[in-house]
Amino acid sequence: MTNHWIDLKNSDCILIMGSNAAENHPISFKYVTMAQQSGGKVISVDPRFTRTSSKADIYAPLRSGTDIAFLGGMIKYILENKLYNEDYVVNYTNATFLLNNDYAFKDGLFSGFDPQKKSYNKSTWTFVNDEKGIPKRDLTLKDPRCVINLLKDHYSRYDLALVSKITGTPEANLMEVYKAYAATGEKGKAGTIMYAMGWTQHTVGVQNIRAMSIIQSLLANMGVAGGGVNALRGESNVQGSTDQALLWHILPGYTNIPKASQASLDVFLASIKPESKDPMSVNWKQNYPKYAVSMFKSFFGENATKENEFGYHLLPKPDDGKSYSWLDIFDEMYKGSIKGFFAWGMNPACSSSNAGKVRKGMAKLDWMVNVNLFDNETGSFWKGPGMKPSKIKTEVFMLPAAVSVEKEGSITNSGRWMQWRYEGPKPLGNSKPDGDIIMELGNMLKEAYKKDGGQFPDPILKLKWDYMTNGKYDPHKIAKEINGYFLEDATVNNQAFKKGDLVPSFVFLQGDGKTSSGNWIYSGSYTGKGNMSARKSQKDVASNIGLFPEFAWAWPVNRRIIYNRAAVDMTGKPNDEKRWVVKYTFEQKDGKYVPGKWEGDVPDGPAPPLQNPDGTPRADGKHPFIMQKDGLAAIFGPGLADGPFPEHYEPMECPVEKNFMSGQLVNPTAPVYGTDADTFATCDPRFPYVGTTYRVSEHWQTGLMTRPQAWLLELQPQVFVEMSEELAKLKGIKNGERVKVASVRGAIECTAVVTKRFKPFKIGDSIVHEVGMPYNFGWRWPVSGKEESPNLLTPSTGDPNTRIPETKAFMVNISKIKRG
Amino acid sequence: MNVTRRGFIKISGATAAGIAVSGMGFDLSPVKAHALTLKTKDAKETTTICCYCGVGCGAIVHTGKDKGRVINIEGDPDHVINRGSLCSKGSALSQLAENKNRLTEPMYRAPNSKEWKKVSWEWALAEITKRVKATREATFTLKNEKGQTVNRTTAIASVGSAALDNEECWIYQALMRSLGLVYIEHQARI
Amino acid sequence: MSKSFFIDTTVCTACRGCQVACKQWKNLPAEITKNRGTIENPADVSFNTYKVVRMREEVIDGKLRWLFFPEQCRHCIEPPCLDTAGDKSAIFKDDATGAVIYTAKTKGLNAKEIIESCPYNIPRKGKNGALAKCDMCLDRVQNGLLPACVKTCPTGAMNFGERDEMLAIANKRLGEVKKISQAARLLDADDVRVIYLVAYNPELYHKFAVASVDNLGITRQTALAKMFRPVKNIASGLV
Repeated sequence: MTNHWIDLKNSDCILIMGSNAAENHPISFKYVTMAQQSGGKVISVDPRFTRTSSKADIYAPLRSGTDIAFLGGMIKYILENKLYNEDYVVNYTNATFLLNNDYAFKDGLFSGFDPQKKSYNKSTWTFVNDEKGIPKRDLTLKDPRCVINLLKDHYSRYDLALVSKITGTPEANLMEVYKAYAATGEKGKAGTIMYAMGWTQHTVGVQNIRAMSIIQSLLANMGVAGGGVNALRGESNVQGSTDQALLWHILPGYTNIPKASQASLDVFLASIKPESKDPMSVNWKQNYPKYAVSMFKSFFGENATKENEFGYHLLPKPDDGKSYSWLDIFDEMYKGSIKGFFAWGMNPACSSSNAGKVRKGMAKLDWMVNVNLFDNETGSFWKGPGMKPSKIKTEVFMLPAAVSVEKEGSITNSGRWMQWRYEGPKPLGNSKPDGDIIMELGNMLKEAYKKDGGQFPDPILKLKWDYMTNGKYDPHKIAKEINGYFLEDATVNNQAFKKGDLVPSFVFLQGDGKTSSGNWIYSGSYTGKGNMSARKSQKDVASNIGLFPEFAWAWPVNRRIIYNRAAVDMTGKPNDEKRWVVKYTFEQKDGKYVPGKWEGDVPDGPAPPLQNPDGTPRADGKHPFIMQKDGLAAIFGPGLADGPFPEHYEPMECPVEKNFMSGQLVNPTAPVYGTDADTFATCDPRFPYVGTTYRVSEHWQTGLMTRPQAWLLELQPQVFVEMSEELAKLKGIKNGERVKVASVRGAIECTAVVTKRFKPFKIGDSIVHEVGMPYNFGWRWPVSGKEESPNLLTPSTGDPNTRIPETKAFMVNISKIKRG
Repeated sequence: MNVTRRGFIKISGATAAGIAVSGMGFDLSPVKAHALTLKTKDAKETTTICCYCGVGCGAIVHTGKDKGRVINIEGDPDHVINRGSLCSKGSALSQLAENKNRLTEPMYRAPNSKEWKKVSWEWALAEITKRVKATREATFTLKNEKGQTVNRTTAIASVGSAALDNEECWIYQALMRSLGLVYIEHQARI
Repeated sequence: MSKSFFIDTTVCTACRGCQVACKQWKNLPAEITKNRGTIENPADVSFNTYKVVRMREEVIDGKLRWLFFPEQCRHCIEPPCLDTAGDKSAIFKDDATGAVIYTAKTKGLNAKEIIESCPYNIPRKGKNGALAKCDMCLDRVQNGLLPACVKTCPTGAMNFGERDEMLAIANKRLGEVKKISQAARLLDADDVRVIYLVAYNPELYHKFAVASVDNLGITRQTALAKMFRPVKNIASGLV
C-alpha cells in the first residue's frame, strides 16, 4: 500500500476491484464504512456479487481477466472529458515527456516484438532527451509525440461498446463507475483503489495495476490522504517477508539479485545505481550501492572486507535472462532436477496453481523438510489422493513450529507498519519458533562444513550467525542487525557516532564498510531510541487523518503515505486543506524566500517544493516522486516485459476465439511451460465455462491455519462452486448437491451453491457463464478427505513480469455426479 | 478524549449488584449475589498482531496462570487500526494455539513408508543437515555453462514464508543464500 | 439504568466475527455442519450457538441485495419466556442490565413451552435438558467490558450501551438510512433490548426478524399479546 488501512476513511471514492475486502480483509471495512458514512462512494467491481458488493454504492460485474479493458475505458473517459488534474499531470507525471519517434503500437503489439523469443526489444520505448540528457517535455501537452497524446491514441480504441463486449459489463454500469471514480480528479477530492490477487493472478497481472496507476496519476490521487494504490496483502507478514527478500530475484530492501554476468562488486553496484541528469530529480535509488555494501556487512560481518569486495563473491548468482520463480521451481521438480525441498509455513500442494503437477513433482524429490503448525497436504503428499506410498521414495521431515502468539518478533502489515508482538504461552509440546529451527540448523550446517569441509564452504563458514542469547534465538539481535550499526567511529551528516551505535536511519548508511544494515528500508526501526515497532502512542497528527505517527513504525523512515509531496501544489500548499498530509512553510529573509520546513507526515525528502509562494521557480526544488529516476509519476512505463501501456489480452484459457481489441489473443510474452502436465484448453467445447478462484472470509489461504479449527470449519465446512441460477438450470443442478468441476488439468467435487450473485455475461454475441470456487480447501482437513483444492484445476502460466500464476481466469466444465 | 481499554473499565465502573449465576446453563449452584468473575482474571496479558491477513490487527492474549496456556484472545481496543475488533478468523485465534490437531513433535517419513514416525529434534536436524550437505555437495556449481562464477546449487529449493516474523525471514534468507540456493520463493509469488 | 444493543444491519458485512467471538468467550463447542447451498452456517441457533448471521439474497426494486441479519436473543423488556417459566431460579432478569438470564435450572422447565413462548424462536434445549441462549455476556458487562460480539464488530453494526444512548444512535441511523431506503425501520424497538435497524421489509431478512406468531403454537400468541402492551412508544417517540 502506498497509503495504509486507516487512511481509507479519508477517501471520497473507494474502488474495490481485484479484491473482496469485506470478506478477505474484514477490518478494512471499519474504514470503508467510515468513508461511506462521510459521503464517500464505494464501488465494487467483481465477476460475482460478494459481501463487499453488498455494501457498495455501485456494483459492476465483469468477466474474469478483462480488467484492462474495463480500466482502459476509464482512461479514455477521463482523457476525452478532460477530467484529469492538469496541474498535477503536467508537473508531477511524465505525461509531458516526448517519446522516441520509433515507438509504436499496432494490432496488439508494441514496437520491438521478437516472435521467436516471445519478448520485446525495448530500445524504442524511450524518451527524447535534450542536450544535457534530461527528457524533453512539452508543458503545453500539444506535441503529438508527448506521452499523454500517445496515451490518448492508445486508449481511443477502448470505447464503451467494445469494452462492454469484452468485459460483459453493461454499458450503463461502466458509465456509472467511470463517472463516480473520475470525479475524484477534482482538486481536493481523493479516490483510492483496494486490489489484491484478483488483479495479480493473471497473465496481465502487473499491467492491471499499471492501468490503475495511470488513472491515479491522471486524477492526482497519488500521495494524498484517501488516495494511493493499495495492494491488500493476504498474509500477516507477506509485506515483511517480501521486504526481507524471500524471493529469488531480490536481496533485502528490493536490491536486485547479482547476476552471473556481474563478475565484480563494482559492476554489480553500477547496475543498481540509476542515473538522472535532471538536478530536480532526487533519484533516491542512486544510493543503492551504499545500502548493498551495508547489507553485505550484515550478511558476513567482519568477513566482508574491502579486499574481498565485501563478500560479494560469497553470494550465489542466477544466470542472466533465466527465471527461478515459483512456477519454475515446480516445473523443475516435476522434471526431476530438484532433489531437496524446504517448505516453511507453506502448502504448495494446495496453494500452487496446477497443484496436480506440484504433487507429482514432490514424489520425485529425495527429501523434503516441511515446517508447519499442522500436518498438511504438502508434508503428507505421499499419502494423498491417488498416491501410492510404497512407490514414493521421498523422505519427509515434518517439524512442528510454534504459533505466532508463542513467540516474539515483528511483522509488517500491508500499510508497511512494522509491529512487534510478544510471547504469551510457551510453544506447545515440543514445537519451536521458526527462528530457533533456523538458528539451530544454521549452527549444525556450519559445524558440518567446519568439521568435514566441502564444496565452497566459505559462505556458510563466513555467514554472520551470532543471533542467539543463552542458546535461544533472539529476535532483538536480528532486528538491530536489520536496522544497522556503525561498525567504526564515524561522523556522518555532521553527527558523531561511536562504533556499535545503531544507525538512526538509512540516510547515515555508508558504502565503505563503516556501517551495516540487513535491510536499508528498515533502517530507523530499532535505533538508540529503542524498538520503534513496539510503540503504542494514540496521538494523531494535527489534521486528524489517522497517521498515528508514534504507533508502531512504518518503512521507509516512518513515512505513512508514500509520495506525500505530490499531495501539495508547486508551492508546497496542500491541495486538500482539510485532509492535508504534508505542507511546507517558507521563511523569509531580506525579502527573499529561504528554505523553511515541512509539517505533517515524514515528507519524501527534505528539499523545498518547486516554487516559492509567489510562483517563482526555485533552483533547489525537487520533483515529488523520488523513487522514480526522473522524479515524476510514470504514465509511460518502459520497464515492463509486456509493454509501456497496459493492453487488453485474453487469459491463456478464454471463452472467445478472438480478442475483440486486436489480432493478438493472449499476452504474447506470457510464460508457458512444456511438460505433459502443462495442458491448456481454450475455446474448447469440453470446458465451456470461465472458472475463477477466491477465498472465503472464514478461511485463510489454503486453509491450513483455519481448516483444523472447529469454529471456522463450522462456518465453512466444504469446498463449493458458485454458479448462476441460469447455469444451474441449464445443467439441471440443484442447490446444495455435490457436483464435479473439471479443467483439462484436473477435477474436484464441490457443493453447488446456486446463487443470484453470479449472472451470465454477454460477451460479443454469446452468453458466457462463469463459476467460482474458494481455494481454501485440501484433503487433509477436514478429516473426511473429500474437500479438495480447486488449484488442481488452475493452469501453470502467469504474468511475464512476476510469474504470478493465472489462477483467476481459466476454463472449466461442471457436471452432475452420477452415484451408484 | 482517548478512551483506552482500561479507561473504559474505569468509566463504566463494574457494577457489583447484579444477581447472576456462573456458568450459565451448566452450573447448578444457587444464584449468587455478587458480580461474575471474568475468566481472564489473573491471567497473563500479552499483545500480539493477528497472524492471518495483512491488516495487522492488534489482539490481547490471555494466558492462564495454572496451565500456562491460552484461555482467551480478543481484539486490543488500544490498537489504532482495529480498535478491539476482529473478524471470524481473528476471533478464533485462541483455537489456533490450543488445538489438538497441532504438530507437537518432529516426525519422519522414511522412503516408501506408509506412516510417520515420531523423532527427536536432535535426530531430525542432524539428518536434515546430512541431506542438505549431501545434495549440495553432489550438485554445487562453481561456474555456469558460459564460464561465469555462480557458486550455487539448483538442486535444492526452499519456499516460505509470509508466516515468519521479519527477523526470522532475514536469517532464513541469509542461511539459504549462504548454502548457494537460488530457488528461494514464497507466498508473494503466488 | 439498563442496557441495550443496537444492531445496524445496513453496515453488517457478515464477517461473522461475532459468531466466533461468542463461542470463543463462552468456550462453546463447534457444530458439525455442511454447506447447504449457502454459506450461512450453522443452520440455526442452538444450545451451543447463540448467534447466527442470517444471509438472504433478494432482488429489491430490480437490484440484488444480500441482506445480513446477526440473530440473537432480544432480551425482551417483558420477556415472555420468563413469565412462562415462572421460576426465577431458572429464568430471571438482571436488574442492572435487563439481561434475560437462563440458569442450569431451566432443566426443570417445560422446554417446548419456553421455546414456543419466544416471539423470536431463540431458546434451545441441550442434551442435558437445560435451555441456553445469549446472556448478554453478563460477566463481561458487569466488569465493564462490551459483550464479545459487540467488541469484535469492525463496522459498527453491533453496538451496546445504555438504553437511551442506543435508542438515540438507532434513531439517528434510521434517519440516515431512510434517505436511501424508505422502508427502513427499527424492529420492535419499544419491546426489546436488541434493537435492529433494517433497510427493507424485515421479513426478507429472517422469518423471526420481528415478533412473529406464524406457524407457532398458542403459547407464543399469548406471549405476544402480552408483550405488545398498550403503553406509550418510547422508541418511536424519538423518531
